[in-house]
Amino acid sequence: MRVAERTTHDAGAPAGVPTEPAVHTATRPYRRRGVNREGLEAGRRSTRTLLWVLLAAAMVLYGFPFLYLLFTSFKTPIDTIAVPPTILPREWTLENYTNALGRSGVLASFINSVQTAIISTVLSLVLAVPAAYGITRYKTLSGRIFIMAALVTRMVPPVAIGIPLASMMASLGLADTPVALSIAHTTISLPLSIWLMSSFFEAVPNDLEEAATVDGCSRLGALWRVVIPVVSGGIAVTAIFAFLASWNEFLFALLMTAIRSQTTPVVIANFQTQFGLDWGSMTALAAVYSIPVILLTLLLQRKIVAGMTLGAVKG
Amino acid sequence: MRISDRRFALFLMTPAALFLAVFVAFPLFRLVADSFFKISPIAGGPRDFVGLDNYFRAFASEAFTGAGWRTLAYTLVVVTLEFALGLGMALLFTALGRSSQIWRTVFMYPLMIAPIVAGLLWKFLMIDNFGLIGTLLHQAGVLSNPNQIGWLSDPGIVLFSVAIPDIWLTTSFMCLVLFAGLQNIPGDLIEAARLDGARAPALLFRIILPLLRPVIAVALVVRGIDAARAFDTILIQTNGGPQSASETMSLLIYRTMIRFGDPGLASAMGTLYLLAMLAVAFVAVSTIWRPGKDS
Repeated sequence: MRVAERTTHDAGAPAGVPTEPAVHTATRPYRRRGVNREGLEAGRRSTRTLLWVLLAAAMVLYGFPFLYLLFTSFKTPIDTIAVPPTILPREWTLENYTNALGRSGVLASFINSVQTAIISTVLSLVLAVPAAYGITRYKTLSGRIFIMAALVTRMVPPVAIGIPLASMMASLGLADTPVALSIAHTTISLPLSIWLMSSFFEAVPNDLEEAATVDGCSRLGALWRVVIPVVSGGIAVTAIFAFLASWNEFLFALLMTAIRSQTTPVVIANFQTQFGLDWGSMTALAAVYSIPVILLTLLLQRKIVAGMTLGAVKG
Repeated sequence: MRISDRRFALFLMTPAALFLAVFVAFPLFRLVADSFFKISPIAGGPRDFVGLDNYFRAFASEAFTGAGWRTLAYTLVVVTLEFALGLGMALLFTALGRSSQIWRTVFMYPLMIAPIVAGLLWKFLMIDNFGLIGTLLHQAGVLSNPNQIGWLSDPGIVLFSVAIPDIWLTTSFMCLVLFAGLQNIPGDLIEAARLDGARAPALLFRIILPLLRPVIAVALVVRGIDAARAFDTILIQTNGGPQSASETMSLLIYRTMIRFGDPGLASAMGTLYLLAMLAVAFVAVSTIWRPGKDS
């Protein structure tokens, strides 16, 4: 069944990942109580209304914390810590934003975050794509051992390797540079990227590069010219995850950066100690840092869902 | 002549393997090596071999055993609540079918937020005096005084309070994974059970959960390992306090290394922590994950 599924799915949605419309139409529509609902989907109108109310309540509760962060960022600095607090600002102002962004080092930290995340994403892809291809296409013993080892490195607590890694970077002359931090971030994203890319390569039929090699392509040429274009969707998903892993990472950034290469999460955390409790600026900076990636999620949600659920439903 | 497939596969894997060897395996080796030395925190300071002394000191210290138990409790709380909430939401989305799709996307948004931001946000909601949660509960008449519950200042409950951002951040992940699993349950099976008169609880416990077992297992393991390594959210909320009541293993190792300047002891703790995680990982990977297996 999985083989059939593989050939019918396009490579952007690998085998085993239920892109739900396909699953819904694949199972036979079942008619019950005159309503065209099937399986676990609720049929009765009253039940559905109740469920929608429940969903609305859950969404409000779940969404509220971040909305409160946004509202707070528009309060005046004094209202930010008013007792008792209000949900909406009494007076809408951008003061917190100008304070936060005007502080020295904040804009530089944004540039550092972007730089580090991009270098780390590229590094992860350059290493993970060939490795994952080698693992899935040739199924050698070394490949099996390697993917196990890569998964085990995912279990390593960053705090355990952070300090030795930092001193290694210092002896390489890379202390406090975006390159050093992006290498550290790649230790997190590389195992994840190999895992994701392996699943995407599994979805590519073998015949594809066999045809290419028969036509006189070298194996490397077949990978580069035939297979990689087919899995470009998967590469995009992997890139998003590698980017997010670096963008949101804090512990390595804390251990390995001083002033020059500090990323924004460290700056946000430092607001707490360095300037007393400046909640207003902190909420503004947190909002500015989070909103681009939240928008990215909304834009690319299908791809991200595929990536998230990939490993778990595969086995 | 063409090189063999096996050589070619090895050639493709070598760069990634070298990277992981240099930047993960080697630092780990350094960590384990350091655990046998008494090291001065000052660069270039003395470095004396002390055998297993650091390990004895770790086990003898109440901070270490306490942090071990707290890490376990924290992980259990996070994973249990996330699973219950995630399953509830996944069932809700499934019951509503395709019309709920847009809300599923919106429900995902915390996954993109940095843990440090989530910790900060929840600290702001739970903090004494100007925290919103205490105030709202007071206005609703649940609490007689907005500061009645010291979410982050009462050592008795702080370990649960610091878990909230973690739960908030990743319930979406649990929900997504379980939702994907639910879509793979054949509708006919559910219909047949319904026709046999199965009610909702029986449907859930006798059919849905057993069928989801592999998906549930993977989701719990992935999240369990992440929760056991939690650092950012706790650091920014309480820094392990009050009275070390929220000091989990990551925080203890970090503080032993940086604040108390005892790299030898911290390395021994890190090694033990790592061994515990690897033991869990090994059991998990060998029983459920089986990546790259021939299908």
